[in-house]
Amino acid sequence: MHTLNLYFRLIAAQVRSQMQYRFSFWSDLLTTAMLNGMEFLTIVLLFERFGSIAGWTLGEVAFLAGMMEISFALMDLIFSGFDYDYFANYVRLGTFDQMLLRPVNITLQVLGSRFVLRRLGRVMEGSLIFAIALVLTNIHWTTARLLYLPIVLISQVLAFGSLFIFGSTITFWTVERIEAVNILTYGGNALMSYPMEIYPTWMRRIFTYIIPFIFMNYYPALFFLEKPDPLGFPPIAPFLAPLVGIGMLLISLRFWQFGINHYHSTGS
Amino acid sequence: MPPIIDVKGLHKDFKVMQRRAGMFGAVQNLFMPRFRTIHAVDGVSFTLQEGELVGYLGPNGAGKSTTVKVLTGLLVPTSGEVLSGGLIPWKARNKYVAQIGAVFGQRTTLWWDLPVLDSLELMQAIYKIQPERFRRNLADFVDLLEMQSFLNTPVRSLSLGQRMRADLCAALLHEPRLVFLDEPTIGLDVVAKERIRQFILHINRQRGATVLLTTHDLSDVERLCERVMIIDHGRLLYDGGLSALQERFGGAWTLAVDFSEEYANIDLPGLPPPLREGRRVIYTFDHNHQSAPDLIAALLANYKIADLEVRRPALENTIRRIYEEKLL
Repeated sequence: MHTLNLYFRLIAAQVRSQMQYRFSFWSDLLTTAMLNGMEFLTIVLLFERFGSIAGWTLGEVAFLAGMMEISFALMDLIFSGFDYDYFANYVRLGTFDQMLLRPVNITLQVLGSRFVLRRLGRVMEGSLIFAIALVLTNIHWTTARLLYLPIVLISQVLAFGSLFIFGSTITFWTVERIEAVNILTYGGNALMSYPMEIYPTWMRRIFTYIIPFIFMNYYPALFFLEKPDPLGFPPIAPFLAPLVGIGMLLISLRFWQFGINHYHSTGS
Repeated sequence: MPPIIDVKGLHKDFKVMQRRAGMFGAVQNLFMPRFRTIHAVDGVSFTLQEGELVGYLGPNGAGKSTTVKVLTGLLVPTSGEVLSGGLIPWKARNKYVAQIGAVFGQRTTLWWDLPVLDSLELMQAIYKIQPERFRRNLADFVDLLEMQSFLNTPVRSLSLGQRMRADLCAALLHEPRLVFLDEPTIGLDVVAKERIRQFILHINRQRGATVLLTTHDLSDVERLCERVMIIDHGRLLYDGGLSALQERFGGAWTLAVDFSEEYANIDLPGLPPPLREGRRVIYTFDHNHQSAPDLIAALLANYKIADLEVRRPALENTIRRIYEEKLL
């Protein structure tokens, strides 16, 4: 209880800090929303020209893209402290030591150390795309679908958050080539915004067996949009998202703990 | 009474990768990295009794901060035993850090964009300080550190001295039994330094906190500490009283005399020939063998003296001599 309460107080402190720069906050929010919105606009233009991609209509792709935008931006907000480009400075400048000197769970402190509100701009933009998807498609909203939608979103947040934790942990050893993790986070985010059929088989395999992202957005979308599975996976495939999300989180937290132990024996 | 900090045979080694130059070197670095072991702390043992205030001195890279990092639970030693406040610092981190307070002069623990008071209130939540106790300590500390004028100022707008005071306050509001201060007066002006020293004395004398003070500023040590530990190359060179250190290694004392008249012969028996600059003459003598009053008496008996001054060796020089001449 105390821990949860403290988490919210730390977040509140971050929010108050950012409210000191009110103008910059609103302009950042708008720029973020617009920049990401542009990307979707190019997709729209693509559909103007071709009508559909691999049997997916604009509304259906908007469903994929909207989900990804919302969940990735929410993750980017909640896991701001684990943004590895930023976290590397915690280690380098001794901020991480300061956290270790406080009698509070270290993961919670990192989560509470940063909360970049302007990411909400992207959440808004993602919601808009998702709204367009809802208008253009005709989803049959059963209770199961209504309940499963937030579960999928949370699972996606956890999966991407795991990659942030993973990247931050690496900075205990090296900050060189940390951008390589971007291929998974930002690359994965972009890749999952489109139907998986458009990718070559080897690529699909990587995102099925090595990092099972295929179950995070694509398969759930098949379930919501009632589309047939062209890849022939068992019918449980659309429901693996929470399993993958929680699994990735547990693995990344293990690695994080291992990294902290390493840090305790080497320092920065 | 058992000591509050007990360090036995502390070793901390670091492996540092040695990079080779050139294209071929870069390839070698990748496939056959060569490591060199650095013994940052190389067999250090000491104890601190509850309520002591000890100065911990040493040049950069001597092993000071590594020792402090082990004592604050940030680093796990390579070997050796540490029992601090009844706990092993690097085990049960949460429980241990709740009873210590640490300030690293170069860094801040405060929330940069928020008023000082907000940071202090967050500390209350972090350390679960009871409201009544928090109010009392806050009032005392704000008074002692003269923080009233900037309590509502965002941390980013504070001067270095103000920020340091706020950091000290934040780190000690929960009244830790053990306090580790690393360069708490670095870069501060004389007035700010003095205020901080007063505060350190307060938490040590009035509140009974045990303090380990790491510093380069020897005036801190002279003002605050009766006992000092000196470390160099990972080993403790000295652990004992400050006055005993001065007596053993302080080097020569000097006696500066202004004569009222010109004298041809001003040598004193048993002393080397003095340094003359007109009527001002400087004698050097060994404090352990000659007493200043005897010398002064001899001078007054034979000469007319306008003024004189006995100078103790500066601690700074003593420490420098120890490092440079390897006196220990």
